This record gives sequence, C-alpha cells and structure tokens, in this order.
Amino acid sequence: MSRAEEDGFEDLVARLNTAEQALAEEVRRSRALNRIAEAIGAGHDTDELVQTVVDGGVELTGAQFGAFFYNVIDAAGEGFMLYSLSGAPRSAFEAFPMPRNTAVFAPTFNGEGVVRSDDITQDRRYGHNAPRRGMPEGHLTVRSYLAVPVVTREGAVLGGLFFGHSATGRFDTRAETLLIGLAAQAAVAIESVRARDAAQAELAQRRDAEERLKFALDSGRLGAWELDVETRDYTASDICKANYGRGPDDDFAFADLIASVHPGDRDRMSVAIEDAIRHGAEYDIEYRVRTPGGETRWVHARGRAAQTADHGGARRMAGVSLDVTERKRAEERQKLLVNELNHRVKNTLVSVQSIASQTLRTTGTPEAFRDAFEGRIMALSHTHNLLTEQNWEGVSLRDIFDFELQAFAPRDRVDFDYASDLQLSPKATVVLGMAVHELATNALKYGALSVPGGVVRVVWALEPGERQGSGDDPRLRLTWTEQDGPPVAPPTRHGFGARLLEKGLAGELSAQVDLAYDSLGLVCTMRLPIRALEP
Amino acid sequence: MKTLAALKVLVVEDEALVSMLVEDMLSDLGCIVVGPAAELEEALRLAGSADIDAALLDVNLGGRPIFPVADALKARGVPFAFASGYGEAGLSEGHKGATVLQKPFREADLRKVLEGLAAQVV
Repeated sequence: MSRAEEDGFEDLVARLNTAEQALAEEVRRSRALNRIAEAIGAGHDTDELVQTVVDGGVELTGAQFGAFFYNVIDAAGEGFMLYSLSGAPRSAFEAFPMPRNTAVFAPTFNGEGVVRSDDITQDRRYGHNAPRRGMPEGHLTVRSYLAVPVVTREGAVLGGLFFGHSATGRFDTRAETLLIGLAAQAAVAIESVRARDAAQAELAQRRDAEERLKFALDSGRLGAWELDVETRDYTASDICKANYGRGPDDDFAFADLIASVHPGDRDRMSVAIEDAIRHGAEYDIEYRVRTPGGETRWVHARGRAAQTADHGGARRMAGVSLDVTERKRAEERQKLLVNELNHRVKNTLVSVQSIASQTLRTTGTPEAFRDAFEGRIMALSHTHNLLTEQNWEGVSLRDIFDFELQAFAPRDRVDFDYASDLQLSPKATVVLGMAVHELATNALKYGALSVPGGVVRVVWALEPGERQGSGDDPRLRLTWTEQDGPPVAPPTRHGFGARLLEKGLAGELSAQVDLAYDSLGLVCTMRLPIRALEP
Repeated sequence: MKTLAALKVLVVEDEALVSMLVEDMLSDLGCIVVGPAAELEEALRLAGSADIDAALLDVNLGGRPIFPVADALKARGVPFAFASGYGEAGLSEGHKGATVLQKPFREADLRKVLEGLAAQVV
C-alpha cells in the first residue's frame, strides 16, 4: 500500500468513523425526540408539559440551560407570563424581570421565526435596548443562543423556547430543525391541555349552575318537570310530584298528570300545552288538582317548549310548578272581604239615611233632631270601633253594654247578672249596639238614670227553645230592668227606640221583644235565638 | 197594570235599620208592606204563598244569596227588583238584566222602580 493509499485509507476510516458517530448521534437524537414526543403527549397539565419540553430541548440541543416562557390568562382574564427552566436553578432568573420585547426577544415572542446565534453578544440585534443594553449583571453567561417561538396552527403565540450555552458555536442547523419540531409538538400539546381544561371548567361550571338551580328550586318549593313532546314521556322532580300529592317513589306519568287536573280546568290546560308546543307560546297557567287523598289544591305551572332547528318544531317542553293553594285561598278570602266591605259601606249609608229619616219623623225641633241624630250616629260609630278592634270577627255582649253605656252612666248605676258572656256576629253587634243605645238614652232622659239613686239591672241567661224536641234553637233571654227611677207610663208617640226594639230586633234577629212600662220603671225583655246572634 | 196605591210589596231585608226605612218609604207611597222577611226560609215561604203584587229583595241575606227567592217569584210571575250595594255586578248569571235598585236610594228612585214593577202586574 503506497503512502498515498495509506493516507487515503486512514482518511476513509476517519470519515467512516465520523459518519458512524454522526449516525449514532442522529439515532440518539431521534430516539430522544421520540421519547420526548411521547412524554409530551402523556402530559397531564401545562406545568408538567412545559417542563418535559424544556428538558427535552436541553437534551436534544446539548444546551447548558433552557427556558420556556409562556403566556397564560388567569381567571380574571389578565394575561401574564410563567416560565419553566432546565439546567439552571430558578434562583438564576428570580432576580430578573420577565423578558421584554427587545430586539433579540421580539422575533420569538412575536412568533416571527427562529433566532440562532453562535455568539449572541456579537449579534447585530444585541445590546440595543435601554437601560441594560445586553444581559443584566449576574445573568448566566450566554454566548450560543437558540430561540424558537411556540405557535399554534392558527398562528397564536403561546410562548417561546430559549436555549443557551456559555461557549460559542454550540447550536447547529440540525439542533434548530429538532427544536422547530419540538416547538410544534409543544404547541399542539399545550392547546389540547388547555382545551381539555376549558371543557372541564365548563363542565364544573354547569354542575355548579345545576346545583344552584336545584337549591333555588328546592328553597322556593318549586317543582321541576320535563315533557317529551313526541312520546309524552313526563319526568317530574320530587317537589313537583309532591305538588300533586305524590311521594318521591310514586309513578307520575303524563296521563297521571292530566287525570289529576280538575275536569273543569283540564281543557284549558291541554290547550295551553298545545299552544306552547305548536306556537312557542309561554306556558303559564294556574289550575286545580285533585290529590290521590281527595284534597283539592291549586298549582301554578310555567314552562316553555324548546325549539329544535333540525326538527322544525318543539321536541321537549320543560318548566316548573308551584303549589299556590295558600295564595289562592288568601285571594278568595280577600275577594270575599272586599265584597263584604262594599256591602257594609252601602248598608251603613242606608242605615244613616234611615236614622236621619226616622229621627226627623219623631223629633219636634231642629235642636232635638240634632241631639238625637248625633247620639245615634255616635252609637253606630262606637259599634264599628268595637268591631274594628275585634277585626270584624265578633264582639261579646258585655262589651256592647260597656261601650254603649260608658257615655251615660257610672259603672255603679248598672248591675250585671249573667253566667257566661256571649260572642256575637258583626250584624247582631250593630243592631244590639243600637238597641242598647236607645235603652240607655231613654233611661237617661226619662227613666232610672234621670234621677240620682236610680239603677238598671241587666240580666241574661240561656234558655231552651219553646218547641222542645223539634230541634228548636236555644235562646238568650235578656232583661233590662230600671229601678228607683221616676214612675213611667207608656209613651204617647211611638219613638224610634221602641220601633227598633220591638220591630227591628224582631225582624233582624227573629227576636221577641217586650217593653213593659211598669210604674216602678221600664222593663225590656228580649228573647233572642242564639243562631241569629252567633258569628 | 196597577198603581202604587195598595200595591202589596214583599220586602226581604235582613238589616233592621234598612228595612225600617224601606217600610216608611213604601207606606209614604201608599203601598202595603208584606214582611219584612229577614231570613231566607221566611222569604221563601212568603214568596211562594203570600198575597203579593211585587217584591223588593236585598241581594245578600245574612251572607246567603237571595236568588232562590227570586226564582220562586219568577215561577209565580210576581215582578220583583233587587236592592243591592253592588249594583248589577252582584247578580247571578240567571238574573242578569233584572231591575236593580242601587243602595242607598231616594224615595223617588224607589217609586220609579215600583211603578215599573206595577206595570208588569197583570
């Protein structure tokens, strides 16, 4: 073998060795890339993922250290930057602010392209930005520099991968190519993790919303229901079932619902449902329902049919139901009360008209008219005060006497004798109040209360009905007896008081009233059927 | 057709002060008062059998509607009017359109209503 041949052979061996080494290096890098790609794909969260990427980048490029700066958006929608390091402790960067968009960093953060430099300190882009004009003091020494933007397929910049070495000329085109591939994989992986996180957050949010909705429905005693328009499959929540008198485990199908609704309201309800399904009308209806226990309740149901684009019509209808029985009863009570009030107001006006007319017929002078009329209006007013105090629910007989007599006589001038007091209806209160007023006025003017020493005895007791055994009502026998007053004689003219007592009470309370003008004093005896007095 | 003189009018009214006023007015007009009935049973009895030419009915009799009495009068062909604080609003379906004397009323109002009733008496 000639020398030239020997040289040539050695050269060949050397080249072969180089090629083998290069191949081995390429195989190592390829294996590393595969391993890293797999690790990236298996990443569970962004932090773990970017760490794998940076570690992989350091391994692939032979860098001394690497960093991944990436943008994140926090819950408040604010963007900020995080970073992950490899080959250097976190303390190596903690003293410095986040990298700015300097001439060196801009191509990376703006997603423009790769920056690769054998010596970054000699790069034309280096050292232009105030105040530091280069790396800050205490920064890791970086000469060889390789930076790749991490950009999604849609062109959004997620962040940048940065690698450095304190020696020059460390990163070749092969390293650059590998990093571009790594960055692309990182972008896809980060995107998919973010998409998954977003989906999970949305799911959690929906679950929260559903929880809140259930809480709101429960605390408002609102039942929830859903109806499949085609199959008429009906689902009802526990509260919804309870509104119809059903237990949580009871079957409650659409047919059961319809059957529960009061026959008088059923057509109206069916029309409303069809209207909501066909025309998208708001379903808002109140109807009576019969519970299995035979109770009648009022239910307020509201809902809406969900329009489906593919179908052209409604497929599902959903809504809420509320037991409004209490409210309905209150409304009915109120309506009754208002009607009753109207009736009373008008009747009171007629009463005043009647008192005026009759007082005018039985008094001789305007002064006498005014005196008597005012007294009677005040008596009527007193009775109304009493009734108002008792919420128009009835006043006791003793209360009527006390109220009407207080203006006429000291307590010791009137004796009471009775075993038990009696509750009276508002109607009986008004007419008895007037009667007591007339008796007292008469006693004060002409009878026992017109002289010192005269007294009135009021006695009442229950007595059985006259027609015993025929279901006749028990009666109240009440006597008003005047004593120690001037002698009395039957009046020559029949006054309002006598007429009210003898005719008025007889008519309104089915009473028998007897006025005896005893020479010792007036005795008024009333027999009042209890049924006409009670509330 | 009758005049008000000696017209026999059934009065159904459960409040003493009101019925006393109506009695006075009717007497002033020359009518003869039948009743007044304060209870439904009594009113039904009089409406069914008493010798009457016309009737004046309080719509609300101690919380009970008067309409059975009105039905009985209708059956007998006795003309009647309702007296009510509600006006026509308080009437049941079957009696919408009936004569209503709105409370309170003047004697002249009562006269007009009674003349209308008397004109229907055959």
